[in-house]
Amino acid sequence: MGYTLLLVMVLPAMVVPFVYFVGKKSFKGAAFLIVLVCLADIALLLTTVPAILNGVDHRYVESYYWIPVLHASFTLFVDGISFSMAIITLILILAAALFSIDYMHERKGLAEYYTLLTLLSIGLVGVFITSNLMLFYFCWELMLLPSYFIIGEWGYREAYRAAFKFFIFTHAGAIFVLLGIGAIFMVTGDLDMFRAKTALMAANPEFVKWVLLSLTVGFAVKMAVVPVHMWLPDAHSEAPAPMSALLSGVIISAGAYAVLRVSMGTVFPAIMGTDFGGMFLHGLTVFGIITAFFGALIALVETDIKRIIAYSSIAHMGYVLFGLSLFPFQEPVTGTVLHLVNHAVSKGLFFLSAGAVMKQLEIRDIREMGGLAGKMPITATASTAAALSIAGAPAFACFMSEFIIFVGAFQTINSDGFYLVPTAFMLVATVLSLAYALRFLSHVFLGETKHESAIDPPRYMKLAMIILAVFTVILGVWPTFFIQLISSASLL
Amino acid sequence: MNLIPYAPWLVWAFPTLSSLLVLLVALFSKKARDYFAVIVCLMAFALAFSMVPDVYFNALEGLSLTAPWVPPLNVNAGVCVDPLSVLLACLVTFFGLVITVYSLGYMAGEEGLTRYYFFMLLFIGSMTGLVMSDNFLQLFIFWEMVGLCSYSLISFWYKRPETVRSAIKVFLMTRVGDACLLAGIGFLYADLGSFSFSYIAANIGKVPMPHLTTAAFLMLFGAVAKSAQLPLHTWLYSAMEAPTSVSALLHSATMVKAGVYLVARLMLLFGSLSALIPMWLPTILWIGTVTAFIGATLALSTPDIKGVAAYSTISQIGFMFAALGAASTASSSGWFASILHLVSHALFQGLDFLLIGGIIHATKTRDMRLMGGLRNAMPITFTFSIIVLLARAGIPPFISFFSKELIFRSVLWSGNFYAAVMLYVSTAITFAYTLRVTILVYLREKSEYLKQIHVHEAPKIMLLSSGVLAATCIISALLGNPISRFMHIEIEIGFGEILKMSTLVFLFTLLVGGASVYLTYYSRISLPEKVKRLRIALSKVLENGYFFDTLYEKAVPRAVSTFSSGLRLLELTFFGELPYLVANGVIRFSKIIYEHVENAFFNRLPYLFASGVLGIAHATQKYLDILVDELLYMVTHKTLASASKLRKVGSDSMEHYVAAAIIGVLIIFILILITFTMLR
Repeated sequence: MGYTLLLVMVLPAMVVPFVYFVGKKSFKGAAFLIVLVCLADIALLLTTVPAILNGVDHRYVESYYWIPVLHASFTLFVDGISFSMAIITLILILAAALFSIDYMHERKGLAEYYTLLTLLSIGLVGVFITSNLMLFYFCWELMLLPSYFIIGEWGYREAYRAAFKFFIFTHAGAIFVLLGIGAIFMVTGDLDMFRAKTALMAANPEFVKWVLLSLTVGFAVKMAVVPVHMWLPDAHSEAPAPMSALLSGVIISAGAYAVLRVSMGTVFPAIMGTDFGGMFLHGLTVFGIITAFFGALIALVETDIKRIIAYSSIAHMGYVLFGLSLFPFQEPVTGTVLHLVNHAVSKGLFFLSAGAVMKQLEIRDIREMGGLAGKMPITATASTAAALSIAGAPAFACFMSEFIIFVGAFQTINSDGFYLVPTAFMLVATVLSLAYALRFLSHVFLGETKHESAIDPPRYMKLAMIILAVFTVILGVWPTFFIQLISSASLL
Repeated sequence: MNLIPYAPWLVWAFPTLSSLLVLLVALFSKKARDYFAVIVCLMAFALAFSMVPDVYFNALEGLSLTAPWVPPLNVNAGVCVDPLSVLLACLVTFFGLVITVYSLGYMAGEEGLTRYYFFMLLFIGSMTGLVMSDNFLQLFIFWEMVGLCSYSLISFWYKRPETVRSAIKVFLMTRVGDACLLAGIGFLYADLGSFSFSYIAANIGKVPMPHLTTAAFLMLFGAVAKSAQLPLHTWLYSAMEAPTSVSALLHSATMVKAGVYLVARLMLLFGSLSALIPMWLPTILWIGTVTAFIGATLALSTPDIKGVAAYSTISQIGFMFAALGAASTASSSGWFASILHLVSHALFQGLDFLLIGGIIHATKTRDMRLMGGLRNAMPITFTFSIIVLLARAGIPPFISFFSKELIFRSVLWSGNFYAAVMLYVSTAITFAYTLRVTILVYLREKSEYLKQIHVHEAPKIMLLSSGVLAATCIISALLGNPISRFMHIEIEIGFGEILKMSTLVFLFTLLVGGASVYLTYYSRISLPEKVKRLRIALSKVLENGYFFDTLYEKAVPRAVSTFSSGLRLLELTFFGELPYLVANGVIRFSKIIYEHVENAFFNRLPYLFASGVLGIAHATQKYLDILVDELLYMVTHKTLASASKLRKVGSDSMEHYVAAAIIGVLIIFILILITFTMLR
């Protein structure tokens, strides 16, 4: 104990050069190195579970001396929410690395690819386990750079165009984030999320209002809320499949996590109960509905295999935003975080299976596919599990979290009648999500067989899909572990 | 061994988990897989039946039947062991067994049977789990699971595009109902903070009436969608794309009854409040009555042999809903009539489907116009079909006679005269369409199509399971009283009931229905022109299923897809291009700046500056020269002038001259020095 979380962050950082040099000799070795690091990180994180469940405030905190001028100490912490997000991130990185072995093997510059993937993992995990806003911003940007290069260099079609769009958008968002963080420091003189929360309570609500808006807009870009979603469809569909899985599973979830943790957790309490506070939440609801419908409707008519999934990601961020707007009720917040976890696994699986189909057939228009269920049974099973989970069918992950969000929504209706109509809308959206999921499955895997020679992908791709499929089912049947952890976290 | 603490759990957990084992067993041998499925079903049936004595003798008081599951939400996993649940569990597992045995023959030689048995067992487990759940969360999960199994089983022949489309339609239409059910559950949970049936039943009084009304109607809508009642009935016909064994199990005997079960369960939960919910019971009554009528008319007009069975199911479930709507509480005759009809309908409808499976197997078509004369080719099937005819019509002493009688009686007692009349008409049509099927398929001359192919009797194993059902159908005549005692309801169902005036009315109704069909097919009465035209118009309406499907399959999807395509266009042209537009704008702006400001101004600025400095230097040099020259000249001149003055002042003193000269030279020297330094 003592250095657990520091190790979680430093371990991937230390491995970066090794990954590069091993990757020069054998790309398989590099991938396995990443897998090992992920496993080690998962094991390290798991040791903190007792501390989370029994500790003060249900948190496990480590603090190191860092930048005294800014009162910034290198504070790492995990609570139930951070823990769940970090674990699922590591599982996805693990699966992505495994999947890449066979998926990327004929591409050039694999040493660089795996090095960038390792770098990405530092930022991704770091975002979830720090409570220092400075460090948070650092990790936030660290997510961006490696993903830009991975999309641009190893993507499809006009990859750099998509990567550029992604970079510009999220970077513009990051400026708003930085503005917000700067404002928090200006007012409170502190960069710790939890201490700043208390300090902001005393600040002028008129000012805090703008801080909240600036931060939320910044995070919303990463979350791909309509109308700042424009980067997502291109980036997700042009990226190589493992990167799409990470983008859709974790990176946009990081945006949602940041809204929950920083906007809601740190800044929002200062203006909770005011008129603006209510308006802010209602605004989130409206954007949530727009996002959910926009994504689902376009996914219903899109024909590109990966763009369908990309739009479904947008739709699901709509659910998440809706769940967040029910803050601070316990059930919806628990449901929302659980949904982030479930969505990450299911969507990761969805993208990997779509990648497998694309790799095996070398086409991406679903109208040209059909009847693959008999030819690629494992891919078909994995994809069906993912699609049904995304559609919210039970025994698969997303069902449980959507159920909890809705139950929470109905509880909220009792205290705020505004939510009645939005909840009805979101229920309609669940029907739409089933519609596009079934359309996807029937076009790709059912119907007449159009590709007689198609076969299941090589073994590491299968292995990665099986790992995620197993998690999708486990989370659907027995979500108790995560629910317990998440609901132990106190945001207020 | 007393199974009671475990049986309620095992009865659904065992088939559910065994479905996974099917995948394993299939690796060894195909035969083992098939028989494994049968054995699992047999054990599930035994488990379900083992609960009957304890429920009958009320031996379950005070038994804890829950286990913690999702603690933060206050949800315990639990089982509900009451007469309603156990009766339905027995029914589901019984049909599961019979139809799995039937599948051994019917599905023999198909590809993908591992998938088939996996989903069949998963379905049997989920359906039993649905009726055994003691809380709404569990119920909802199983509710969705049976929908999922239904989708997977309908799309069993996934290579047919038509099948795939039907499966999607079925799943989506029931999903609409599921969303409503979820909303209803949410409303109740918001007020009570619990999903548990026992808690809800005890505290239902605490729910404000408006909330209770909303929840009740939302859940009713969920039940309507699942049980294929108006206006969401059309999916059941599309579900007929499934293998017939699946249709028999899911789409007639068990899954579609989930809605009836849910409403019956809600009445138990709401207790005396169910009669107080405004418009709730009348809505149920009229949905049921109208569905019964419309379903019957559609069954009379369709040429598809499975279509008749599907519409008949819709219509008969309508009877059950009507009975529920006529009940004021859960102990009244309407409630019981509905459950009794549920059982009797499952028996004859299940049998009907099994026979249809055999016929389709033999004739390779679903179109009744291509059939005829099967009484000679398939004599055993024909015998069984007579049992279906009598049971569906409700000829005494089949149990369906008692259930239908009880339904009429309770609807009349509830004061809904018109509903009762409509139900009588529907019964007449029921007899009519069953007779029509019998004539078209078995009695009339062999069709041209059948003369070309060899029609054979169904395989033995299929006949065996049909025979079991047929026997149960007949025996069930004696089951009325045992069931009512088992349900702890004091309604006597004896053969004495048959000797009443109402029986005559009932039989007369049937006669009217039967006679009209007989006349249509066996006598050639020429109809007046007006009636003919009316008939053509009517058949147009009936052919299109009262245009419900035109709405669901054409209008709604078209509207949604048009809207979505519009959005996509917006996305591609506006949202997709906006960033590039902005970026291009920025780039163009930068170019302008580059050309006009940077190139034209800033780039030349250092040169301008340099040349300016040079100019200043030149000017300085030029003007300073003159200035210095002038100055020199002036100074020299003044010096000389003052020197000559001095000479005049004191020409005698030579020293003055010398001194003045030295000073003058000095000054000149200094000036020259200055000039030089400045010019360098």
